[in-house]
Amino acid sequence: MDYGIEVRDQEAVVRLRGRLTFNDHAKLRTLIGEMGQNKLKRQVLDLSSLEFVDSAGIGMLLIAREEMDRAAKQFVLRGAAGQVKRVLTVAQIAKIVPMED
Amino acid sequence: MFTPASTDAVPATPDNFRDDSQGGNAKVAVTAELLSTWLGFADVQRRTLDVVQGELTRTSNHVEASTLDLSDRFRELAQKALEQSERVAQIVAMAGSVDIDGERVPLDTLVVGMQDIITDMVTNIVTLSRHAMSMVYLLDDVQKDVAELEKSIGDIDGINRQTNFLALNATIEASRAGEAGRTFAVVAQEVRHLSRSTGELAERMRSKVTAVVKGVRNGHDILRQIANTDMSPQMLAKERVDKTMDSLVAQTTHFQSVLETAASVSSDMSATIAHVITGMQFQDLTKQRIEAINDSLAIMGAGLGELETRIRAQVPAGIGAREPQEWLNQLMGRFTLSEMRERFVRKLLLEGTALDENGVLDLNAAGGSGSGGDIELF
Repeated sequence: MDYGIEVRDQEAVVRLRGRLTFNDHAKLRTLIGEMGQNKLKRQVLDLSSLEFVDSAGIGMLLIAREEMDRAAKQFVLRGAAGQVKRVLTVAQIAKIVPMED
Repeated sequence: MFTPASTDAVPATPDNFRDDSQGGNAKVAVTAELLSTWLGFADVQRRTLDVVQGELTRTSNHVEASTLDLSDRFRELAQKALEQSERVAQIVAMAGSVDIDGERVPLDTLVVGMQDIITDMVTNIVTLSRHAMSMVYLLDDVQKDVAELEKSIGDIDGINRQTNFLALNATIEASRAGEAGRTFAVVAQEVRHLSRSTGELAERMRSKVTAVVKGVRNGHDILRQIANTDMSPQMLAKERVDKTMDSLVAQTTHFQSVLETAASVSSDMSATIAHVITGMQFQDLTKQRIEAINDSLAIMGAGLGELETRIRAQVPAGIGAREPQEWLNQLMGRFTLSEMRERFVRKLLLEGTALDENGVLDLNAAGGSGSGGDIELF
């Protein structure tokens, strides 16, 4: 998995690409740190280019949400599709994290 | 012998006509031909009446036997239709539910229950994954801290070596100072002891820390294996289970509605059959009518026979009965059913003959022309 951060007027958009699995846990921790540090209130995780997520990946997304809560930031998941969307739906993530198309 | 007259009746002249006032005993002139014709007619009519009575009785019996047989079969059919609708009703009652530990559970309740269980399972997987990742991050930090600790112990060793070296120098300097340095030498000696103790403590700490590091690394590895076991396929199994359950409910509902229709059709059938059986009672009425007709025919036949006997008694022996050939032909033309025609012919030809006395008339002619092959029909 790799990612790019784009800071806009109202929100910071982090676009994830490829496969998010346990092997990316160190990279994701760094990313969470970066998201916590940037000044924007609204942090959007763009999942439209993410092809696959495993159960560890779901765990990491929930940790990211906790960290954003702690930093008093809004955390949004956007554009999930395919397997990622199916797994997020089955896991009922939308009950915990706001999801946008 | 009998000579046919040119006309049927002799005109009623004063010579042969007696006054009507003399009632039933009045005599009229009738030609021998007319009498002969009448006798022929009367004979054939009487026999025909007998045959007709026999045919009516035969028909009535036939209808009765067939109706009874049909009623029995219909009753059987009605019973089977009833059993069928009961069986289907049983299936309908069972179709919507399943037996679990001796308790009937409606299928939709069961499906909701199963879906709840799987939802809980998925939620547990998600919670577990999040906790596992939190632990992985925690142990990542612990490993860094333990590495720091190992480095700190190394630092203690360095300081200790330096202290030991200083104490050694102090001892040497003290011995050079002679008596004046004696006290100082004692202090230097104590510092060296202290340094040795510190070194030993650092060594004990190092061995313990090494054990801790080893334990943490093992735990970290195991945890990584746990967190690295992807449970997303198991989570996605919920989709398949949900679809299967929905399909199962839909199919069962469909079956139930089809079976309910089948049950109502079966009970409609048994009601219709009951009506048919009631309708069969026409036979009873028909039988009574035929009996009444037969009775009338018997009275007519008897009347005719009696009249024939009386007339024959008064007719001169020379006048015989003339066979009404044309009328017979017309009559025979009506009997299109061969066995019936055969019975009629036997009656006309054989009654009162020697063959009749030998019981030929009682033979069942239903076998067709085979049994009556020696009789040439009209």
